[in-house]
Amino acid sequence: MKRKALVTAMALLMGSGALTACGGGGGGSQNQTGNQAAAGAPSAASSDTLTVGLSADPPKLDPKLSTALVDRQVMINIYDTLFTIGPNNEIEPGLVEKYEVSQDGKTYTFHLRHGVTFQDGTPFNAAAVKFNIQRDQEKDSLQRSYLTPIVGIDTPDDYTVILHLNKPYSPLLAIFTDRPGMMVSPTAVQKEGADFVNHPVGSGPYAFKERVKGDHVTLVKNPNYWQSGQPHFNTVTYKIFTDQNVEVANLQSGQVQIIDTMPAQQVATLSQNPNFTVINQPGFGFQGLYLNVKQAPFDNKYLREAVDLGIDRKALVDTVFKGAASPGYTPFSQASSAYNQAQDTPPQPDPAKIKDLLAKGGKPNGFTFELQTAATPVTVQAAQVIQGMLSQYGIQVQIKQIEFGTLLDNATKHNFQASQLGWSGRLDPDQNIYSWFHTDGSQNDEQYSNPQVDQLLDEARAQLDPQERAKTYGRVMDIIHDEAPYVFLYHQNNLIAYNKHLTGFEYRADGLLRLATVSAQ
Amino acid sequence: MAYVLQRIVTMVPVLFFLSVMVFGLIHLIPGDPAQVILGQEATPEAIQQMRMKLGLDQPVPIQYWHWLQHVLTGNLGQSLVDGEPVSHLIAQRLPVTIELAVGTIVVALLIAFPFGILAAVYRGRWLDAAALFTSTVGLSVPPFWLGILLLIGFTVKLHWFPSSGYVPMWQDLGQNLHAMVLPVVATGVREAAVLMRMLRSSLLDVLHQDYVRTARAKGLYGWMVITRHALRNALIPVITTGGLQIAGLLGGLVITEQIFALPGFGSLLVQAVFSRDYTTVQGATLVAALLVVVVNLVVDLVYGVVDPRMRLGKESR
Repeated sequence: MKRKALVTAMALLMGSGALTACGGGGGGSQNQTGNQAAAGAPSAASSDTLTVGLSADPPKLDPKLSTALVDRQVMINIYDTLFTIGPNNEIEPGLVEKYEVSQDGKTYTFHLRHGVTFQDGTPFNAAAVKFNIQRDQEKDSLQRSYLTPIVGIDTPDDYTVILHLNKPYSPLLAIFTDRPGMMVSPTAVQKEGADFVNHPVGSGPYAFKERVKGDHVTLVKNPNYWQSGQPHFNTVTYKIFTDQNVEVANLQSGQVQIIDTMPAQQVATLSQNPNFTVINQPGFGFQGLYLNVKQAPFDNKYLREAVDLGIDRKALVDTVFKGAASPGYTPFSQASSAYNQAQDTPPQPDPAKIKDLLAKGGKPNGFTFELQTAATPVTVQAAQVIQGMLSQYGIQVQIKQIEFGTLLDNATKHNFQASQLGWSGRLDPDQNIYSWFHTDGSQNDEQYSNPQVDQLLDEARAQLDPQERAKTYGRVMDIIHDEAPYVFLYHQNNLIAYNKHLTGFEYRADGLLRLATVSAQ
Repeated sequence: MAYVLQRIVTMVPVLFFLSVMVFGLIHLIPGDPAQVILGQEATPEAIQQMRMKLGLDQPVPIQYWHWLQHVLTGNLGQSLVDGEPVSHLIAQRLPVTIELAVGTIVVALLIAFPFGILAAVYRGRWLDAAALFTSTVGLSVPPFWLGILLLIGFTVKLHWFPSSGYVPMWQDLGQNLHAMVLPVVATGVREAAVLMRMLRSSLLDVLHQDYVRTARAKGLYGWMVITRHALRNALIPVITTGGLQIAGLLGGLVITEQIFALPGFGSLLVQAVFSRDYTTVQGATLVAALLVVVVNLVVDLVYGVVDPRMRLGKESR
């Protein structure tokens, strides 16, 4: 009996093998047309749902608790901000229609937009703004440090908010284009408590519907959005891809219509494809090498300078990034109001000068140092190119690949000689330089300290005129270039791609996908 | 029955040992979870506060004790990154990976059995050579490479299958299967190659035994001998290999999950490791260990079904 069963099972197994082979082919061809429609010409369904590819899972959709870059990709469509970024990176009105700053730079008066409601029906008004700022100043808020200068908030009427600062603080408006400026519904916070992070409510074009961690986040149209005619889709689905090449493949196959980033190697291929639009523009960030100024060999200024001068940035960028980054020599990219082309243009390596510096530093025949870098293909390749460039001058680089968490940990604990770590960047110049080079800066992992730099950085914080500030930052950069505690290498570009049938996408240098204006042809 | 019970009881110390290992080892990973969670921008003050909130300021043995207490009541804790209950995360992800694993095994069996048997029976002929050649190719091609190849060919170029968009089985079986075909083939081919070679050699071995010759001499026809007598005995080493393969699959599926953007257990574990999400790593590893132990148990029990000698041996103790 048993034997018979076994024989039958075998026969079934073999038979079903043949069947599946046929069935698979048939099913496949049936679906061919359906999927091709989605990838090529827009179908009725495509104007209903927009599918967005994200390169990471957004951990927290509450601006108060968020620190991940990818959170902002989703939050920017759930929440409106008090101010927004314009096409030329100028600060534009958002939920604040008009504002005034007092002469001494210590009082900001915001006039709010009328007729805005949160997605749960709560009206947006001065009380809501006060609630939000105070919430971001709470002890457990991760935005707290941005808002410390605010010491008082008045709400003389429903649509006016007056902020009192204890000192002039010019980055304030730029900060309100980011997380601290994202307005959450006070009613929803009171109702959900700690669970608000899983039920976010803002006043933005799309309202949160659901999420499956690691797979997707779904938003739906906010029918009461204050900008008439927006948004255009009924549903927005963010799909998570932990591999960027897979993300590109999904754009190509039509599963997603817009992606937040891509590997530099894919830029050329995708740009040549007439079905897609590729955006390859400088962001606000910078990348480079921390040199630990409190540890040998880089406690020696001349040796730092020798390394700084020995790297050909142009060649580095061409080799590794294939046009998806630009050579850089300051923390300010082309997108920044403090950008200065002359200062941001890296010098060409000068063998005679490098030799001279090495001799002055007491190492005429060169020296050896360890470079810590994250274990990603791009960073490792960059490190290897640098290794090759410096070895010409007798400077031997030992590359140590470590996992990103450890790299950060070592940097914070100053446990490195050189560490390859950059910054994703922010709109206001202060946020790209202060904490990196001020003695008390939270990112000052290179342990650089210079009273003059500290004073200039503090001064720039209080200057309201962007041109004056840019001049002050120029003075800071002169000193930094001379002392080289950090080797600026390049500014990374934002790489965004979308299907040609989408229209209305407006690029901003923060790289965020603002979807209110996007529609399908 | 006593054997089954005995096996289950011996699982307890194994799992306890594993729990200590898992807990101890993850704390050896350098890098501060609070720093990783809060990112580059966090102030030292915020990091300190996060450490306290996560209980990381306490000694490791105390952290372990708290964790174990919760685990014993079925509470695997909350993700350090997003506060979601770990058991919930695992429950969401595990079915995907189990489906992928089962599909892989089915594909492996569908390929390995017919071709393995044919190769053994027609040993030395062109069919055998073709099967061996195919299996060598199958073994040499890494699943991630095959996965990418399938992705480019069948989704980007031909649009026959979706490149992502996993739909749970209970939501839409058709879409679910459609999305699973490529991942299952990508991993199944390799497993099929291993199984096929195993089956072929083991069957060849058995076919040369005296009892097979006797059966043939008694006038039984070729296929009858193979299915009734030879195959059954040839299956023992195949089951052993198969069992090990299933246990090993759990790790191997991680890459396939990444390539086809499947929200599975493997990718959960990988992401958790990178984000220093201790509780998720601990919970997920424990569940994975439990699965491997259970698979081993099942394999042992299947031995008993296929080969009565094993069963009797245990029962006579």
